[in-house]
Amino acid sequence: MTTNPMHQFEVYRIGPEINLGDINLSFTNASLFMAISAISVLSLLFFGTKKKSLIPTRMQLITEMSYTFVAKMINDTTGSSAKSYFPFIFSLFMFILFCNMIGMLPYSFTVTSHIIVTFVLAAIVFIGVTIIGFVKHGIKYLELFVPKGVPVALLPLIIIIEIISYLSRPVSLSVRLFANMMAGHTMLKVFGGFVISLGLLGGWLPLGFSVALTGLEILVAFLQAYVFAILTCIYLNDALNLHH
Amino acid sequence: MKDLKEITTRLEIAKKNIKKTEDNNKGSNAAAFGKALKISTELVAAVFVGTIIGFLLDSWFDTKPLLIICFFFMGVAAGILNVFKSAKRMHEKL
Repeated sequence: MTTNPMHQFEVYRIGPEINLGDINLSFTNASLFMAISAISVLSLLFFGTKKKSLIPTRMQLITEMSYTFVAKMINDTTGSSAKSYFPFIFSLFMFILFCNMIGMLPYSFTVTSHIIVTFVLAAIVFIGVTIIGFVKHGIKYLELFVPKGVPVALLPLIIIIEIISYLSRPVSLSVRLFANMMAGHTMLKVFGGFVISLGLLGGWLPLGFSVALTGLEILVAFLQAYVFAILTCIYLNDALNLHH
Repeated sequence: MKDLKEITTRLEIAKKNIKKTEDNNKGSNAAAFGKALKISTELVAAVFVGTIIGFLLDSWFDTKPLLIICFFFMGVAAGILNVFKSAKRMHEKL
């Protein structure tokens, strides 16, 4: 029995090959699971808010809870000035959460375990926040790189360090999500492989580990979506309220 | 009438207990786990970005090993700065 634990991350084409010039635009399993996540979020919100009753049904309760959860998160970290960015952060959070959670189902594919997906999400946040900062504060936004109370002699060094720190935001944001999802799923697969190779006698211990790891992975799946969203809020806060 | 009063007081006590457990859960394992993951990647990412910038500038100016070394250490400094900033943010929240 040789099962490659990395095999689950393979992207393959579904349906016909579509080429636009040199760019391969074929529909892959990654695109399929992204579409499934987006559709599940939309249908949850659509059916959850269809029949608005005073005593909520389960669907309505989940929808309302996710709304208040994100609204509270934005309010706690950014204050009321970020209310207008609620739709963006809400869709980001729900999309990542559903991608992670759908990836936990057997035979499915975890979209967020590919760095290009998470990096694009982080780059959208990073570029968006930078644009918001410059629109809101103009050239004064560059003061973000100049901390107060630093001697002039040290300024050139500090500014470079601050710029590196600023540029590392999308990298840390994307690597965190990608690494957690990939490491977790690889680990699950490795322990699953142990169950098979150790057989009926020794396989019970790794089986127990697999069960425990599944619980941990569900926690991580939620936590990473939460961390991604809350860091987006923090970066937004830096751009909106410019002070250290 | 008496029953209603009793129920209200009991409800209030129950609500207080719920709040207490919620407060206790705030610094729970899950949140700490998230923070640990957050800080560790912040430290590594800045080093990575610094080194990449050094590498790019090196191939630009043809100063092969010099800038990559400088920017590696500046990346380390930026990583520590990142960790320091988020630790400070956590401290403010408490």
